[in-house]
Formats: sequence, structure tokens, C-alpha cells
Amino acid sequence: MRSQERSADLRTFLRRLPLALIAGVAIWVIARPIYGPFLCSAGQGLARLFEVPPASAIVLQGEDALLGRTDMRAGSGWLKLPLVFLHFNLVPFLALVLALPHPFAGGGWRRLLVALAILAGSHVASLTLQLKVFEAGSMGPWSQANYSDLERNVYGTLRYFFDIPVTFALPLLLWVGSYPQQVLALVGLGHLTAEIGGREAHR
Amino acid sequence: MASLRAFLATPVGRFVGIYAAVLSVGFLVLALRPVNDHVVNPYTTFVAHEARLALNLLGEGATVTGQVLSSPRYSVAIFNGCNGLEAILIFVSGVVAFPAPWRTKVLGIVLGFAAIQVFNVVRVVSLFYVGIHRREWFTVAHVLVWQSLVIVFGVVLWLVWVRRYALAGTQR
Repeated sequence: MRSQERSADLRTFLRRLPLALIAGVAIWVIARPIYGPFLCSAGQGLARLFEVPPASAIVLQGEDALLGRTDMRAGSGWLKLPLVFLHFNLVPFLALVLALPHPFAGGGWRRLLVALAILAGSHVASLTLQLKVFEAGSMGPWSQANYSDLERNVYGTLRYFFDIPVTFALPLLLWVGSYPQQVLALVGLGHLTAEIGGREAHR
Repeated sequence: MASLRAFLATPVGRFVGIYAAVLSVGFLVLALRPVNDHVVNPYTTFVAHEARLALNLLGEGATVTGQVLSSPRYSVAIFNGCNGLEAILIFVSGVVAFPAPWRTKVLGIVLGFAAIQVFNVVRVVSLFYVGIHRREWFTVAHVLVWQSLVIVFGVVLWLVWVRRYALAGTQR
């Protein structure tokens, strides 16, 4: 009987998933007009944090971010980056959360907000790294004069890390980490949730 | 720090920790130049040829040059991030991190690899047709729709593997 109940949980999750994906896209579409400007200004702020004079710039242009520097000649190259490449992973994350049974019960809202804040932090870091890689490697003699080979390698490696592993895997880690009891119940290991609950209550 | 240690001591924490470690090592290995040159690039070309076969079954008359898939009507370049390796790595990491017998894990990896291959060919072929018929939708279809579906597909595949294979013996 318990096994049948567990299968029913998974079936419910799989049945809800298509609708949850649509809901994820809808939330993404609604949030995008606010989120794009936030990403650009936060990314620019992070890039300028230790910069003297602060000239790194991230400018929102429609759905894209323009990356460059304000202290270069007019007509110098700016990199155009579609922001969807950075923040599309909000959709699968939201879909996985919304497809769970009772995602907002027992502090679920708070955990969702924390997870979204971490995801947003990864987007800001990723955008800033795109800018730093562009500055370090694609501005000709200026790049050569202002960045060392080591810096180019470090920024390039970090950009790869944020571009692919973080973008693809962070939603899953946040999903499992934020909703361990629901996910465990989903895979049929609901009996282990008592252990987690016990530890959380103990703390 | 203490709460992180406490979390990592739980079954979920152990799973998340091993999963993150396997995934990080996997992605680092894929990023190495020799691996990129001798494994990732040939694999991407292989994916392009799979998609070419599928497109030609649909009468598209496609050809492959390097990692570029072309027909008289459209062409796409398949880059890292579009070859399905990330989805495979995410799935394989989940399988490796989950406590199950190694035989079950190997079976999961083989079947998952095949399923993701098929899924990725469907993705490339569909994007090819989006490019032909609705070029302005290509970026949205490529990134928002298919990348999201790839992540969700990897999760669903892993859930099915856990329920059907990894826990099959313990549920009876």
C-alpha cells in the first residue's frame, strides 16, 4: 500500500509538471521587465565595486545587456548579451517547485525566497563575469595593458563555471536543498524525512 | 558552518554533497582542453550527424560540416551546452550520488544516456524547423523552452530511475 501511495506521489508530480512549466514561464514573463534592469544595475555595481575610476558598464537594451566601458572612445566595441541566457533557469526551478505537493506548506515560501535570492545572486555573478571576460580579453591593447594572463584565465574559468555547471545544476541543487522532505517523499524515501525533521527541530 | 555540517550529515545532505562534487569534477574534466578536443568536439559532431540522419528522414537534405548542420533552407551550429553532455552529466551525477547497487547505477547511466540522446536529437531537429519557419522565435525556443525542458527531463529521468530501478528491491 505504501509503495502504491509513493507511486501516486510521483504520478501527481509528473501530471502537474507540464502545468508547472507553463506557470514557470508565465512568472518569468511577468518578472522579466523588473528583473532585467535589476540584473544590469546589480551586475554593474558588482563590477565597479573595486574599480577606480568606476567605468565598467552594463546597459539594458530591450531584452539584451550591452557590456562595455564608459571611458573608451565612442564607437568602441560593446558586447551584446541576451539576458535570457542567464536567467532562463528560473523557469525549470519554478516548475520543479510548483509541481511538488504542497510546496508552500511549513515555511515553503521562505525557502523559495531564499532559493530565488541565491539563483538571482548567481545571475548577477554570471553577468559580471561576462563583462570581466570581455574587458580582459576582447578590448585589444587596452585588455593587454590592464589584465594579466592569469586574470584572463581566472575570469574565463569562472565564466565557464557560471555559464554551464551553475546554470544547469543550481536549480536542481536548490530544489533538493530547499524541499528535501517533499523530494525524498517523491523518490520513495519519505521515511528519511523524520531524520531531517528531527535534526531541524533539534537545532 | 555547523548547520552546513549538520545538513551534510543527513541522507539528503550526503546526496547533495556527493552530487555537487561529482558534477563539479565532471564539468572541470569536460573543460580541459585535451578532453574538449578529443571527446567533446567529436561527440558534438556525432550529435550533429544524428540530427542530420533524422532531418534527412524528413526529407530535409541536410549535411554536416564540423559541428554545423546545414540544409538548403537553414543551418545551425551546435556548440558546447547544446550537445546534451550537460544533461547527461547532471543525470549521471544524480545516479552516482544516489545510494544504489553499482549494477543498477550502470544500467541507469546506459539507459539515461540513450534517452537523453534521443531527446537531444528531437530538440536539435525541432530547433532547426523553428529556425526555418519562425526565425525570430529561435532564441526563446533554444534557450527558454528547450534548455528548461532539458533540465526538467533530466530530473524526471532520474526520478523514474530511482523509483523503477534503484528502489525497486526495497519497495516490495
